[in-house]
Amino acid sequence: MTHPTLAPEEPLLKVEDATIALRVGGRTMVSGVSFAVNRREVFGVVGESGSGKTLLTRTLFGLQDDARLTAGRVTFEGRTLPLEGYGAAVRGLLGHAIGYVPQDPFSSLNPSMRIGKQITEAIYLAKGWPMGAERTREAAIALMAEVGIPEPALAFDQYPDQFSGGMRQRIVFAIALSQEPKLLVADEPTTALDAITQRRVIEMMLDRSRRHGLAVILISHNLELLRQSVGRIAVLYGGQLLNIVPAADVGTHAAHPYTEALFACIPTREKALADIRSIPGEPVGAGFGTSGCAFASRCAYAEPVCLTAPLPLNAGITSGFSACLLGRGAQ
Amino acid sequence: MAYVAQRIVFSILSLFVLLFITFLLSHVVAGDPAIVAAGPNAGAAKIALLREQMGLDKPLLTQFAIYCGQILQGDLGTSWFTRQPIASDVLRELPPSLELVFIAMLINLAVSLPLGLLTARYAGSRFDDLVRLGVMAGAGLPVFWIAIILQQIVAGRWQLLPTAGRLGFANREFSGATGFYLFDSLAAGNMNVFLDTLAHLVLPAFALSLLFTAVGVRITRTAMIGEFRKDYVTLARAKGASEPRIMFRHVFANGATPALTVFGMQFGWMLGATVLVEEIFGRPGIGRYAVKAVTQSDIHAVVAVVFVVGVVFLLANLLVDIALYVLSPRKQQRA
Amino acid sequence: MLRLLTLPKTNIERAAVILALIVILVAIIGPFVTPYDPMQISFRSKLLAPSSMHWFGTDGSGRDVLSRLLHGAQLTLSATFFVLIAGVVIGCTIGIFSAFVGGAADNALMRLADIWLGFPPLILALGFASALGASLQAAIWALVFSWWPNYARLSRMVTADILSQKFIASADALGVPLHRKVFRYVIPNAFDVLIVQVTLDISAVMLAISGLSFIGVGAQIPQPEWGAMIADGRSYVANGWWIVLAPGVAIFLTALAFNVIGDMLRRELDPTSRRR
Repeated sequence: MTHPTLAPEEPLLKVEDATIALRVGGRTMVSGVSFAVNRREVFGVVGESGSGKTLLTRTLFGLQDDARLTAGRVTFEGRTLPLEGYGAAVRGLLGHAIGYVPQDPFSSLNPSMRIGKQITEAIYLAKGWPMGAERTREAAIALMAEVGIPEPALAFDQYPDQFSGGMRQRIVFAIALSQEPKLLVADEPTTALDAITQRRVIEMMLDRSRRHGLAVILISHNLELLRQSVGRIAVLYGGQLLNIVPAADVGTHAAHPYTEALFACIPTREKALADIRSIPGEPVGAGFGTSGCAFASRCAYAEPVCLTAPLPLNAGITSGFSACLLGRGAQ
Repeated sequence: MAYVAQRIVFSILSLFVLLFITFLLSHVVAGDPAIVAAGPNAGAAKIALLREQMGLDKPLLTQFAIYCGQILQGDLGTSWFTRQPIASDVLRELPPSLELVFIAMLINLAVSLPLGLLTARYAGSRFDDLVRLGVMAGAGLPVFWIAIILQQIVAGRWQLLPTAGRLGFANREFSGATGFYLFDSLAAGNMNVFLDTLAHLVLPAFALSLLFTAVGVRITRTAMIGEFRKDYVTLARAKGASEPRIMFRHVFANGATPALTVFGMQFGWMLGATVLVEEIFGRPGIGRYAVKAVTQSDIHAVVAVVFVVGVVFLLANLLVDIALYVLSPRKQQRA
Repeated sequence: MLRLLTLPKTNIERAAVILALIVILVAIIGPFVTPYDPMQISFRSKLLAPSSMHWFGTDGSGRDVLSRLLHGAQLTLSATFFVLIAGVVIGCTIGIFSAFVGGAADNALMRLADIWLGFPPLILALGFASALGASLQAAIWALVFSWWPNYARLSRMVTADILSQKFIASADALGVPLHRKVFRYVIPNAFDVLIVQVTLDISAVMLAISGLSFIGVGAQIPQPEWGAMIADGRSYVANGWWIVLAPGVAIFLTALAFNVIGDMLRRELDPTSRRR
């Protein structure tokens, strides 16, 4: 395997000015999104439902049939993927360079295929059978043990509906891990689970990813969860990427007003009840475009310029940036 | 096991509904069975005697009990036209019809499953639209009409296949133990008869299958389309599985189960629809027997056919359900 | 009716709507515009091939095929619509009743409908029709008899769905009487679902009617019902192909038109079956 040698500062994945539109009707849902994920980085993407975060990631990784990348530049390991035939190009990376963990563990495993078979299939698809069926089986069992499946040799021959949601998500993660990708994309991997299981599964996933040297994009609507588990967080609203902020800066004035408002909604141990505030107004859906800030209508600081001026969307994507037109949250 | 028991109980219940329907037909709708049995010229005294002999003076519920008892002992009554026990007639006529339905079902499955799978995968495409139009056309074709047209063109004008009957003139002496010629000829090692039987089956089976295939494609598509939207397909794609692999290794097995239940039901419906083709192709069988009984106003024979087709229908459903259950990998979790 | 003209999206759907309207028009006025008496036997003009005199030729007894086809439209379509309307009325009465009563009776009725629905409809109708004595009326009632459970199931489902919604609870609180609930809430809400199903069932019922007539338990030869016409033409098929061809094409095109319209209506009216 030959990979282009990367300069140390070159990010693993770089997305510049990505615009995503629906295939039917051609409506633009996500516009001008730029971010970069470094090797071994754990990167969070947060947004309310309808903010476009799932559409963005699923389209970027070739898993959304009804939308496509209409503009922008996506670079993976220093290689720029063509805009024409983007879906096919990025799907060529799935299954070895990029792994994906879907939202709902209750439907993301094939109900009529044994667990073990689903993992060995992944290994086969990534590498063929260089080590033979028996060794592949052993590798799968070792992976199951690693992600915390009790009695993995027994579980190997069982079917998905014999496992709880948390266990299933561990299995899905084992599938992704088995292909030894460089980047793991996890789309709300724990939303369907209860709070305690959520924490455990996330911790396990991030720990194993770190150990295997994976970069992770963790998508969630749960800012608190991301704040505690990732390095940097990208904040999406109305199809605009408003903020990329180090997790430690969330809750300080070093963040975009929307990030600030989003954080103010969350009850945490440090916060008094009186400090918990909801954001006034209704969230806008994706597809807001690039002129004017999508959040302006609900923002406490908004000024007339916020409704019309083009957003500064591109600065400093490998570290952090704020798209606030008033310069709030910019370092 | 609870699942199998439940299916069996449901089948027995259905059998009683069927018995009730046939009882209704032969004892109530058709008028006084004694008058029917006595024939057109019988006097009042003879009818009264027959009524007593047949237990028709008893309450309806008792009559139903007696009727059920008779049927369950295998007594389907006597044809008042041939004066033969109907049960033996039906047993003789059933194998050729089942053979026909079996081939028609094979055609149905061979077309429906792949087309249903592909149209589900490419839902909304030109190909999908084209197949849907074909399905609507197929569902609008009168079976008996297309049978006549095929017979005239393929067998009559082009002489590609035999026009009528079960076997050609040269093989007219052939007979076998089971009455299923495809099976009997193979057992006897007689390829000639086997191919001849098959040639005689092609046209009627094709005509019979058209309507059911149209429905079959639609059912399969509906069953499969929901599968393609599930997250395991996304995961398979994320694993780097090719589209054919996703279709055949992942989606097919999951979508086929509900579809096969419907195909199980179609088996019985097809057997019923043999009344529309067997007569045209001059094939012996339960359908032709029924049509003949209808034209001779032989009500008990007709009702017996209703009953037998109903029983085959129930058995086919039960077998498919049990087979799917046994084959299902997740039987520990079911029911 | 006017809305039907605005719904079609493709040329096939437009053609289907036009064709269906023509067929319905023919079924209404056909008998008044036929060039010949459909029952007039004339041995001098038997088995005439299609010509300017007889567009669709004449049959084995010298009757004009076109005239019979036009009369047959009325016979076949009115029988079909009668089966569907009677089936809907009987089925919906039972279905709505079942949903309102609930409990064991509801369960038993729906189980019965399930079982009934399963049995091969054609053979059930065949038994019933021959028990009644072969005639078109018998075939019609036979089909009603085997068709009602479709609509019982459907209307029960829709009714139970409506009854579970909040506005019914508030209607209950206000003391809205039962018949008002049925006519104000249930029937209007069930209408769209039913109209889709009925349209899709037209072809199946029509095929069943003509099938029963073909095997001799429905309309009797020489009635100009389309299935019976095919049965009648069978013996002349070698030297009078048009006798069998014309009614078959008529059945096929009518069934296809209504299938396309049903598919279109489902797309437009039934939100649960919308394709992506």
